[in-house]
Amino acid sequence: MKNKITKYYPLIPLLAAYLLLLLIGKNISGMWQLVAMLIFYCAMGQAFNIFLGMTGYVDFGYVAFMGVGTYGMALAITHLSHIKGLGILIIIIGFALAIVMSTLLSMAVGAVALRLRGAYFAIATIGVNEGFRFLIEGARIWNGSEGLIFTAQLNQILGRETASSLMTFWADIIVLIIAVLAAFVTLYYMKSKIGYALTALREDEDAAKVMGINVTKYKIIAFITSACFAGLVGATSWALKTPYVFPPEVFEIHYTIEAIIIVLLGGAGTLLGPVVGGLIYGISKYYLAIFMPGFQLLIFAPVIIIIIVLFPEGVVGMLKRRVKGSALAKFII
Amino acid sequence: MILEQLAGNLIQGLVLGAVYGMATMGLSLIFGVLKVVNVGHGAFIMVGAFVTLWLFNTLGINPILAVPVAFAIGMGLGFIFYYTTMQRLIKAPELATLLATFSLGILLEELIKLIFGSEFRGYNWVVGKINIGVTVFPMAKLYACIGSALIAVLLYLWFNKTRAGSAVRSVVEDSEGARVCGINVGGAYALSFSLGIGLTVASGVLLTMFIPVGINPYMGGGYTLKAFVIAVLGGLSSPYGAFFGGLVFGLIENGSYTIFALLPGVEPFALTRFLSFVILLAILLIKPTGILSRK
Amino acid sequence: MKKSYFKTALIFIAIIGFFVSANAIAAPKKLVIGHPACLSGKYAKAGEQAIGGIKACVDWVNNVYAGVLVGKKRIPLKYKYYDCESKKESVTSLIGRLITVDKVNVVFSAYSSGLTLRGAPVAESHKMLYMDHGGANNKIFRQGFRYIVQTIGPATRYHEGTLNMIHKIDPTAKKVALAYEDSEFAKMVMHGAEKHAKKLGFNVVFERTYPKGVTDLTPLLSALKASNPDFILGGGHFEDGQLFNRQMADLGINSNALSLIAAATLPAFYKALTSMAEGVMGPSHWEYGVKYSAQEAKKVKLPWIGPSQDEFVALFKKALGKNIIPDYHAAEAAAQVLAYVLAVEKANSIDSDKVRAALGDLTFMSFYGGWDVDETGLQVGHSMVDVQWQDGKRVIVWPEEAQTGKPCYPMPTFAEKAKGKVAVPK
Repeated sequence: MKNKITKYYPLIPLLAAYLLLLLIGKNISGMWQLVAMLIFYCAMGQAFNIFLGMTGYVDFGYVAFMGVGTYGMALAITHLSHIKGLGILIIIIGFALAIVMSTLLSMAVGAVALRLRGAYFAIATIGVNEGFRFLIEGARIWNGSEGLIFTAQLNQILGRETASSLMTFWADIIVLIIAVLAAFVTLYYMKSKIGYALTALREDEDAAKVMGINVTKYKIIAFITSACFAGLVGATSWALKTPYVFPPEVFEIHYTIEAIIIVLLGGAGTLLGPVVGGLIYGISKYYLAIFMPGFQLLIFAPVIIIIIVLFPEGVVGMLKRRVKGSALAKFII
Repeated sequence: MILEQLAGNLIQGLVLGAVYGMATMGLSLIFGVLKVVNVGHGAFIMVGAFVTLWLFNTLGINPILAVPVAFAIGMGLGFIFYYTTMQRLIKAPELATLLATFSLGILLEELIKLIFGSEFRGYNWVVGKINIGVTVFPMAKLYACIGSALIAVLLYLWFNKTRAGSAVRSVVEDSEGARVCGINVGGAYALSFSLGIGLTVASGVLLTMFIPVGINPYMGGGYTLKAFVIAVLGGLSSPYGAFFGGLVFGLIENGSYTIFALLPGVEPFALTRFLSFVILLAILLIKPTGILSRK
Repeated sequence: MKKSYFKTALIFIAIIGFFVSANAIAAPKKLVIGHPACLSGKYAKAGEQAIGGIKACVDWVNNVYAGVLVGKKRIPLKYKYYDCESKKESVTSLIGRLITVDKVNVVFSAYSSGLTLRGAPVAESHKMLYMDHGGANNKIFRQGFRYIVQTIGPATRYHEGTLNMIHKIDPTAKKVALAYEDSEFAKMVMHGAEKHAKKLGFNVVFERTYPKGVTDLTPLLSALKASNPDFILGGGHFEDGQLFNRQMADLGINSNALSLIAAATLPAFYKALTSMAEGVMGPSHWEYGVKYSAQEAKKVKLPWIGPSQDEFVALFKKALGKNIIPDYHAAEAAAQVLAYVLAVEKANSIDSDKVRAALGDLTFMSFYGGWDVDETGLQVGHSMVDVQWQDGKRVIVWPEEAQTGKPCYPMPTFAEKAKGKVAVPK
């Protein structure tokens, strides 16, 4: 019994961090949009971490799942808005569509790319991301490169005021909920058979296979879960909060890189890592943009290199090692 | 009419493919020896383009002469990056090396932007044209093609006829074995990394001979993605494989355009790129050693 | 053990303190323009120009115009900008900060239609005036935003002037080829051009797109050559325009006229292509050399405001500390400053609703040309000019009332140009 509760202790600092963010955003004026950005980075990191952190596979095409999730929501809004009386149901259908589409894509990618390892996997996933984008543009699927713009439809569905508060406030709350859900799932996976199997896989995939672990099954579970959360983040941040979709923007490889940076900063494979990484990344980016406009990338790039070289296990990874054996160890994984 | 266009495009594709191939050899060399994918590849091509531009526009130096200059600069950059960063990451997981090389790319882009600004530039090197009936070639394009082939041959000779080359080769085949045989594996890593970067920067010069406009700090991204496809075509770890991969890629890209353009309501260029990524996935799945290898 | 809890608490307090202190800047009596500028990232080039243009006009308003007249008092205009890195996440968070922390009175959008759209809901929810000088997509103004006003003209009209011109000077020209970038902006230009061409009785013999970031247009151009058009319209952004022109020269494709959007009017275009760019045209919102002046404004009975063209260029160079000629990105951002100042004075208030209403009624002329918006905020008063490269100089060839020179039509062939022939009208 006791064991069951202590299992969930690490959620305490995580939830505390999110609560603090929420309080800051709500109570200090001018902070909400910053908090929204931080939540977005944390959520993106959480979703990415489920797969990368647990398996060690680098999915360079991760943003594709966010992209199809965005399209799922966008398609629901643009295609259903003329049906009267659906109202908020359209948004729910949008989320369902986002999940279905990202799951389908991740199954297709998983079936193909998960047979590969290391750099081959990374390149294959880049290929999927770019290929998918060019398919949309080339075959003019979903309005091709002209994209979809749908603030007007959103207004029509929800009414002006509701739509406006959805775009500027509730969408961010939904992202926060997604981030917390992703954290729960991460913890659940870590403490269950899946986690142990994936740890074995990360250490030595061949040995894990020999031991009789069904490596492929667990890899695919983690992959699909990660993709689903990515799709949800996309549907919220890039469709509800940003009421347009242009293919080059939602398949932009830089977001994958950002997700990698966040996970690596915080510590790959840890529960708290993406939150810590997302906060560090978002806050430093924001204040660099304010105090040194135009130079943030020039400063960021060498800093990241230094971090990779000197602190490869990330902030939480280091903390974990420090507190090993102490009472705090229960809280940090 | 269509056939004539197809023929013209295929010949253009072959010439462009040689340059593409050359532009990928560095990527393949680095992957072959260090097992590191240089995600910042395009940024090094961009550096080469700026070297050419600067030499031509301020000093009036012939772009052909810019090739060795760019190569030397690339070797220098390679050595610096190897000893400050890559050396410590050789045994690290992919995640670290992918992110490190990507960050190096960003660093270069931002530095170049700081020095040259974000303007789109170009240069005009007039050396005449040649008409072959189905299409027209500026001589600069042909020089770029010949230069690329020449560099591929030189690299082949270096690998097979010099001591340093064979040392690197033995590291590719079995780094532990090479270490036992008394080969300086660390040195071979450093040499191949900087050689790879040198080749990539030099290829930037040749690419601008082919396309001497649109030179700006962020021009490299598209070339990185193309280089991935080409490298996979050539088996990912073989520099000459990459060269021939480039030829095949040029033919596919230009050839399929003419065919896709016959379909109504599509964007043919985007479809050629879609096709190239489909081919990438297919090769990775069926024959990850590349379509040209005998293994 | 206790100690580490204490430490954690301390860190939390420090974080909160950081947020609070960042928040404690009080706003004195002044007008502030907020701008999530694109200083780095993919729109860095346009972003730098916009900042220079805004700074130049803010300088003019404060030092020549002696401040903005509100309630019988002249108050200074300030400009606050951050770098959004051309990324949407930053756009919203920075607009949030500009509105609530810096207490700006108006927000100027980031460059591009996408980033403009991303920021609109945030500005809207704060009932903040949102002025668009970088998003040309007409659809932005069909989304029901109430606080958005456009300075840049709508994309559908970019190539109308060029078509009108050729229609007039060469009645024998019938076949037009369209080849645009496959992006939301360029596609919209293409649809507008296609519609207008058909209206004028032209025959569209070739119509194709190419994707963003293309590095070789040879296959498209050889197909274009086969269609044998009288003149060619196309383009998208900067790099593809250069590529388009260059590869036409490489393949020896000649035509009576070539007009490219975005790229052709910039000095960098000629610098990169030199003689190959001779005779090439491009539509532009504004170009150095346009003839808008106080006298011109009097003729068309519009109020005039702002620096003269040469004053603007001098201020622009001073603002950026670089010796570069401003392009239309700078001019439209600068004109937007003037529009805002006039609207504030007209409304005699800094309240967003009142200023927005005043902007709706406002018409004026500045060095940028006319300015007038319809009820949705779409710019309708600004007409574009067509520029042609003649002997290394940009000459405004259309519309006739703005001409600084006659068009050179047909332009010389690439072979002639390579031999040093320049495009000068007969």
